[in-house]
Amino acid sequence: MTVLSGRSRLVTLHLASRRVPVAVAVLLTCALVLRIALHRTWDAYGALQLPLFFETGCAVVIAATTASPFGEPERATGRWLPLLRLGTVLALTAIAVGALTALTTGAHLAGGSLGVLRNTVGSTGIGLLCAVAFGGSLAWTGPTAYLVAGVYALYTQWHGPALTTPVLWPARPSSDVKAAVCAGLVFVAGAVLVMVRGSRDSLTRA
Amino acid sequence: MTAAGRLLRLELRNNVMLWLLPVAGPLFWFVTFRPGLAYPPMWNLRATAMQTSSLAVFVPLVVGAAAWSGSREGRHGVTELLAGNARARWARQFGTWAATTCWAIIAYLTCVGVLYAVTAGTAAWGGPLWWPVAVGAASLPAFAALGFTAGALRPSRFTPAVVAIAAFLALEISANFIQGFDSHWQVSPLVANPWSLGADEGIATFYRYLPDLAIAQILFLAGLTAALMGLLGLPAGAGGSWLRRSATALTIVGALCAGTAVALAGTGHLDKNGMIAIPTLHNSAYDRPVPYTPVCSQTPIPVCVHPAYSRYLPAVVDGLAPVLTEVVGLPGAPVRVDQVAAAYEQGSDNDAGIARSGAAISGTPPVFNVLLPTQMAHRLSAEELTGEVRVGMARDLVQNLTGGGRGADDAQEAVTEAMARTSTLPPGSPVAEAARRFTALPAATRHAWLMAHLPALRAGQLTLAELP
Repeated sequence: MTVLSGRSRLVTLHLASRRVPVAVAVLLTCALVLRIALHRTWDAYGALQLPLFFETGCAVVIAATTASPFGEPERATGRWLPLLRLGTVLALTAIAVGALTALTTGAHLAGGSLGVLRNTVGSTGIGLLCAVAFGGSLAWTGPTAYLVAGVYALYTQWHGPALTTPVLWPARPSSDVKAAVCAGLVFVAGAVLVMVRGSRDSLTRA
Repeated sequence: MTAAGRLLRLELRNNVMLWLLPVAGPLFWFVTFRPGLAYPPMWNLRATAMQTSSLAVFVPLVVGAAAWSGSREGRHGVTELLAGNARARWARQFGTWAATTCWAIIAYLTCVGVLYAVTAGTAAWGGPLWWPVAVGAASLPAFAALGFTAGALRPSRFTPAVVAIAAFLALEISANFIQGFDSHWQVSPLVANPWSLGADEGIATFYRYLPDLAIAQILFLAGLTAALMGLLGLPAGAGGSWLRRSATALTIVGALCAGTAVALAGTGHLDKNGMIAIPTLHNSAYDRPVPYTPVCSQTPIPVCVHPAYSRYLPAVVDGLAPVLTEVVGLPGAPVRVDQVAAAYEQGSDNDAGIARSGAAISGTPPVFNVLLPTQMAHRLSAEELTGEVRVGMARDLVQNLTGGGRGADDAQEAVTEAMARTSTLPPGSPVAEAARRFTALPAATRHAWLMAHLPALRAGQLTLAELP
């Protein structure tokens, strides 16, 4: 009983230190706003690009939760830390994908649920890699830059020459296996690195 | 150095935007520079495309960086500690915002400078368009102010990330709401020329780039910047009473400017030269055509185009060549083929009519006036342009000579078909057979017959049976 309560307290404290409750609220808000937005009729660009913005929005929020307010002391004492980091990332990613999929059920969502899964997972992976490289606070830069490239890649589907590389997975059909593998690999790499190393202490505190 | 200068220097050295420059550079290359160079080296195409795409690169990064900088005091929990600082909070915030904006503008101007330098080396005609650059540059302080205000008002680890994505989303979807050429949404800095016309070579070529919409956009962005930065000075801890009064005035003036600009954008219309004209801001000097010396081909009948279109001349000549050889020297044949400007006419919603300005034939001796296809840059290869010229302009030229076209009789249709080398007639019909026979004649025989009979054919005095 004491062990169980101790573990649950550890998990609770870890989640609180990463502002996970706020993150979950933001993820649900993202999904809700996307649902409301899908009620409107969008032109071809808008319909394709809109989900990508919200998927990336979820990804940057997940990446931001990796920032630790404690730094070195936490790393020195936390035996369970790698598992807590991994668990947090996996849980938040699942919540994001689940919320985006569930709340957009019945609406015309470009790419469908598979597209949501691939894009959210891929962008989160980029965010996690950036968290390891630049710190959790600046982890948004990677997914945001990738969003710009992804939006442009979608644009080239009308105004060629079309970009078809699987590395730019948002522009590929949701059934494209290579694109899904790319996104998945990036996520796995990001999740493993965050689990092992955690997010870097911020490069700049400015 | 003054205290304000030292503060700015400190902020410049520590600003997070500096860390984002290595991200902005490659993104600009990928999204703006590389596609920009895929356009023909025409200033109007590259400059207007640059305005739209470069904002997509810089806005999310600038907003995120500014939000990060704006939330600094809150994130570090030193807001109260710094309340006793010699500098008012508003003044300190101005320094941080200015540093973010400075780096963003330096990066933007450097990137645009490279694109313009490359274009200057290859452009056949004209000079740089500065209004699109000005709108882009004016956007950066405004979006930095947006991010900074969000960060200052809601300091959190999530704020920079969420605000960056939200601002980018707002910018991109603003174009979705443009309905008609009098849409208020045209105030969005994404819009460099009429949104539905796309990359049209004819806009700002024969006439100067109309700055009406750009002026409204800059007014909007300046107003937005002032209003947002003014907002930061309103809370009690922002500074002394005179400073807060100044902030209030700045907010009001900024909001009024932004509102005025939105209203002005809503009074726009598509002018005959293909740009958005806003009556209040319009300068009629821009309605005068820009003088130029045409570039002409060395063909029996010279084909002359605007120098900006010189790269298209070989394809146009290839398309017209068979017809030019056929008609040279015939009675009423043009002595020159001239490219003329397009005349734009506003339709409903985002529709616009694009037609040749003026008549097909003008002057004595006659000159045949042509309108080159629009949006050639991405739509047509050289071969496709040649084909389009052959079935469009070449046939048009022949029709003007033979009296073909709408209401033409069978003889006129047959000769037109034969001379234009097109196949628009029902196969096996008497007209098609007559056209086939006429085509099969030796060129000299055909020419001699046309020399003798063209006036009668044009007047509709010949029947199909009288054709050779």
